[in-house]
Amino acid sequence: MTTSDPKGSAEPTEIEVVSTDSELRIGVFPCMCGKNIGAVVDIEAVAEYSKTLPGVVLVQVNRYTCADPGQREIEEAIKEHGLNRVVVASCSPTMHEDTFRKAVKAAGLNPYLCIMANIREHVSWVHRDNPEAATQKAKDLVAMSVAKAATLEAQKELDVPVTQAALVVGAGVAGMQAALDLADSGFKVNLVEKQPTIGGIMAILDKVFPQNDCSICILGPKMVDVAKHPNINLITMAEVETISGYVGNFDVRVKQRARYVDIDKCTACGDCVEVCPVDVPSRTDQNLTWQKAIQIPFPQAVPSSYFIDQDTCLGMDLIRCGKCIDRCEQEAIVSSDTARYIDFEVGVIILATGFNPASPEKIPRLGWGRYPNVITSLEFERLINAAGPTEGKLVRPSDLTKPHSVAIAQCVGSRNIDTRMNCSNFCCAESVKCALLIKEHYPDTEVTIYYQDLRMHGKYFEEQYLKAREEGVKFVRGRVGEIQQYPKTKNLRVSVEDTTHNRLEMLDFDMVILSMGAEGQSGNFPIPISCTSDSFYIESHPKLRPVDTSSAGVFICGGAESPKDIRDSVIQASAAAGRAAIILQKGRYPIEALSARIMQDKCNRCGTCEKRCPYGAISQDGTGKFTVTGALCQACGTCAGDCPQDAIYMPNFTNEQIEAQIQIALAENPEDKIVAFACNYCSYRGSDLAGVSRMQYPTNARVIRSICSGRYSTKFAQKAFELGAGAVLYSGCHLPADCHFQTGNHWMAKREPRIRGWMKRNNIDDERFRVEWVSASEGKKWQTIMTEMAEVTERFKKSKPKPKKPSAKPKKKTEPKTKAKPKKKTATKPTKATKAKSSTKKSTTKKKGGK
Amino acid sequence: MKYAFFPGCTMANRLQFAEKSVRMVVPEFGIELVDLAFTCCPEPNAVRSLSEDTWVTFAARNIALAESEGLDILTACAGCHESLTLAKHELDTKSELKDKVNGILKGMGLEYKGTSSIIHVHQLLFDEIGLETISSKVTRPVPIKVVTHSGCHLLRPQKIMKVDDAEAPVKLDLLCEALGMESLEYMDKVMCCGAGVRKADNETSYAILKEKMTSIMMVEPDAMVVFCPTCYITFESGQRITNRLFETDFKLPVFYYTELLAIAIGLPDTDKLLADHRVKIELPEPVEAKSDKSESIPI
Amino acid sequence: MTDEGRNQELEELRKAGRPCFQCGICASSCPVFRVAPEMNPRLAVDSVVSEGHVPVEGNEWLCSYCLMCEERCPMGVSLAEILIGIKNISSREGKAPKDFVESGEALLASGCLSPQSNRSDKKRVDLGLPDLPQPDLEQVKLIFEATGAYEVLEKNRAAAKEEAE
Repeated sequence: MTTSDPKGSAEPTEIEVVSTDSELRIGVFPCMCGKNIGAVVDIEAVAEYSKTLPGVVLVQVNRYTCADPGQREIEEAIKEHGLNRVVVASCSPTMHEDTFRKAVKAAGLNPYLCIMANIREHVSWVHRDNPEAATQKAKDLVAMSVAKAATLEAQKELDVPVTQAALVVGAGVAGMQAALDLADSGFKVNLVEKQPTIGGIMAILDKVFPQNDCSICILGPKMVDVAKHPNINLITMAEVETISGYVGNFDVRVKQRARYVDIDKCTACGDCVEVCPVDVPSRTDQNLTWQKAIQIPFPQAVPSSYFIDQDTCLGMDLIRCGKCIDRCEQEAIVSSDTARYIDFEVGVIILATGFNPASPEKIPRLGWGRYPNVITSLEFERLINAAGPTEGKLVRPSDLTKPHSVAIAQCVGSRNIDTRMNCSNFCCAESVKCALLIKEHYPDTEVTIYYQDLRMHGKYFEEQYLKAREEGVKFVRGRVGEIQQYPKTKNLRVSVEDTTHNRLEMLDFDMVILSMGAEGQSGNFPIPISCTSDSFYIESHPKLRPVDTSSAGVFICGGAESPKDIRDSVIQASAAAGRAAIILQKGRYPIEALSARIMQDKCNRCGTCEKRCPYGAISQDGTGKFTVTGALCQACGTCAGDCPQDAIYMPNFTNEQIEAQIQIALAENPEDKIVAFACNYCSYRGSDLAGVSRMQYPTNARVIRSICSGRYSTKFAQKAFELGAGAVLYSGCHLPADCHFQTGNHWMAKREPRIRGWMKRNNIDDERFRVEWVSASEGKKWQTIMTEMAEVTERFKKSKPKPKKPSAKPKKKTEPKTKAKPKKKTATKPTKATKAKSSTKKSTTKKKGGK
Repeated sequence: MKYAFFPGCTMANRLQFAEKSVRMVVPEFGIELVDLAFTCCPEPNAVRSLSEDTWVTFAARNIALAESEGLDILTACAGCHESLTLAKHELDTKSELKDKVNGILKGMGLEYKGTSSIIHVHQLLFDEIGLETISSKVTRPVPIKVVTHSGCHLLRPQKIMKVDDAEAPVKLDLLCEALGMESLEYMDKVMCCGAGVRKADNETSYAILKEKMTSIMMVEPDAMVVFCPTCYITFESGQRITNRLFETDFKLPVFYYTELLAIAIGLPDTDKLLADHRVKIELPEPVEAKSDKSESIPI
Repeated sequence: MTDEGRNQELEELRKAGRPCFQCGICASSCPVFRVAPEMNPRLAVDSVVSEGHVPVEGNEWLCSYCLMCEERCPMGVSLAEILIGIKNISSREGKAPKDFVESGEALLASGCLSPQSNRSDKKRVDLGLPDLPQPDLEQVKLIFEATGAYEVLEKNRAAAKEEAE
């Protein structure tokens, strides 16, 4: 596991305050926004009210605050009046927060001391028919922002240096391409490969689709490029053992196995092979023939050197064997070779570890492994390969005769509940290629392809399929049920239904080729990168960030991400190299200014936060202390949402600030109010869209924005209800996968049962709390929710006894009524409960002791 | 070790010698059998097709009966084994069903708890007793060439039955080899004998048997070995009907495994068992007195 | 069983068959399809899912319940059990084949499908086999009663009578 090396991310227990002013000097800037706000909201009234708020020293109304003059006015006001906090009451922060922050920064004030109150999208545009209530709501929202501003702290915008080197794991065609792209861009690349040679699966194929050009012939030159590139440090027979650090600053330790041959001295002459007494099944030739214990994977191997398989070698001393040592004229054999560690630093990592060809051993009904004339597509590639065990002659393994009829079976091991549910992408094209190759060498041999769906999805694929049909290859739609072997001839009987004709076919074939699919083998890497259930790496976003991972600085490409052919592997490798190069060439990586900080004096080291973070940004060091690595933190606040000790400080979204906002919101007539939490990327933008679309709804809601719904602690809802809120809404991005911070919405959903349990114990009607999923495009949904929840507050108001006289000023923080707070997570039911709750809004339970 | 013995009505009333062979053999391995008032298992095809509820309730009753005596059930018929095992799986995984069935069983003073397990003689011999113990008791090996037919209902669905690999079963072959036989691989080894469709369509049933027998005879065995009385009857008597219907000439002797086991471990009066076979075979004397302990898996 | 109950049962069978993507492995593994082309398990599932019944009436009874299709189905569809479900529905409509009904009658009458006979008793005595304890037939009747098996038999007896006339 990683230990964080906080170069440049401080972990203070005291929160640094950049402003040394002891006095709060808040400036409030209400905006008329032309008629957009001014026509509905009485801006002057809001301005007057703002003057009465604690800490406010200046209130200045503008017609168009975001325009140049408006911005300059803010800058001047800051300088002239020594403002140290700024609240702009205008449009949505998603619109202009950056704009105003730039202005504030220009005036010499820390940009994180400027926040906004949304009185346009959330007020004037949606409460046109009720200007009075709209104005009151605007006042409340400004008061909430002012209360939040009181405890804002200046935040540093730091960045960390990026080591100008990369690690590429895996040197198949994808890894090679990524390494070459980065090396050509001028960066140093450490290319680590598990096998003794680079080239991966592509190096052992015969001809490749769709041009059917010779695989090793096109790969060979690339392999030589890798070998010769001055910027590439090639480490073969090695695996990554440990990685510590974070983006820009990874410390990598690689373990390299002993080769027992000096690659600088070995000339690949092959003399040693003549004297080695040990026969080993050939990995390159798919166990169809033998190699010696001292071997070179194939002639074009890079590095161009032999190696000794230490598991099968008899022993490199004169007593046990050592014949190769005698024979080698170059004296290249190093019997004293040992495994070694190689350490280096990199700024980015690209994972290109490929997939595993799926062995049909798991599907005994197809007979591979039991019947010699049933072979896999990779075994076929070696047989038909001129460099293979039969020098390119396709023969039946049982009797070495030429097959007159060949069947090719598709979907072997893929699209199968017992092995892999997913399609393996390349096998359909591969089978058409195999058929074409057979026909090219042996025009008289009959070839039949048994398929379920023939996926000729790639460029140039369709015409190859046509060519195959024209050459007489038979295509039968039906997935092979079983293959049986005739005891004497070792011919095969293939049972398959020709589904186009509803006819059972039990036909004899000399040979059957099983189209091998791809099995995932991703994972098991020193940095935990999430994988799918079938062991392929998970990308950060399937459409918009398909080569990034949720670990900053780590990229994926090729077969390790999902099964694909050579062209797509190369494309994705270049994509990953491009993405990695962005970080490298910038030279510095920004740390999220609002990243979480753990307050060590409050922390009880329960470790919950570490489990919540999807970015691996929280880790425990050797002394047991938990710290946040700023460079990895995305400030979602999910950790803070579940911290039982409230020991996590989320700048600009602290517990204190949020609770202050709740208090202000519920200061008057709390039973009328809906305290609505909305996450920045989805729900808040959805609520903004309702405003942009001028959808009207009642004025009850007081929205509190957070970056992610993972931030919403159970305590916020509890506090709101304790203060008498009519209703509370927790709104986030849609499950299961829309959360912009991976899993924030899931953790929020898990808190719902605990909140409802607490509500039940305190006789609070279920319908007063809602958990909703609103996306940025669901303005209408927001409107509906606001309307429905307003009705809930109406019902609540009618059912409760007359409220006490409302207090004019915001109440001081009262001690919350102590209820047993669940320390452990109680067993939670999955989100089905959520959906059920939202649809049963109409069912009210009569309150005990009713009217 | 005591078991509630479940011969099944087919074995008890139609293949008595097979039942006898089981009862002869198991005491040699320290097993005691107890007979309880079981009904039909019930037959997994016929009864279940009429009504699933009826099927699962009868099965539950039988299992509950064994549970009330604190015994596990030893089946000797693949059909019974499948019926009881599948029913147990249903009852153990669907609590609503279990409650419903127990509601009915209550009326007869029984309750299905799920405490008894169900094991077939195949599993008893291979998994519990083991090949080594069996080979060590062999005094009169049976050097014939056989093919084995484990039966659909012993093998499938593999995830629940867990008796052997459903596509490439080897255990019955190994059990035969432990007795000195040579077990031959043949095509369509896991194919059904056709019994299940006989009640619906006679001719189809025998057409299936013909296919199976054709594949069997390709390897020219001396006999075949089964572990289910229904399969036994289908192969032995069914051959004749197939010959009549399709003008074939099958006459392969069939054995229920424990008969050969009884012979191989030198139990007395095994002639009485073989007397009831319809296709007779003269078992050759072993070439050497030693038993052949080869445990290679045949190719 | 009410119409609604029947519909729900059928709905569940159809839902169980929806994952089927018509690959044909079941058909190529089916011993019945091998000798009798009218029984195609792939078409049977498709028909149940899209039309709510098997392609040809009575098709379901041709299944020999060998479970090969279920064992091999790559989508995990329990074909044989869907067909059992269809057989249950047909049985309740009085359409069970004669031999199946006979089995049901035998079960009711004696608690087993292959009933004892004098011949078999004698055989048992000859071989020295013990007398097996007989089940309480009242219990058999109770089960028939509680699981609706009486109705099934009745329906089929009535249907057979009608046919004879």
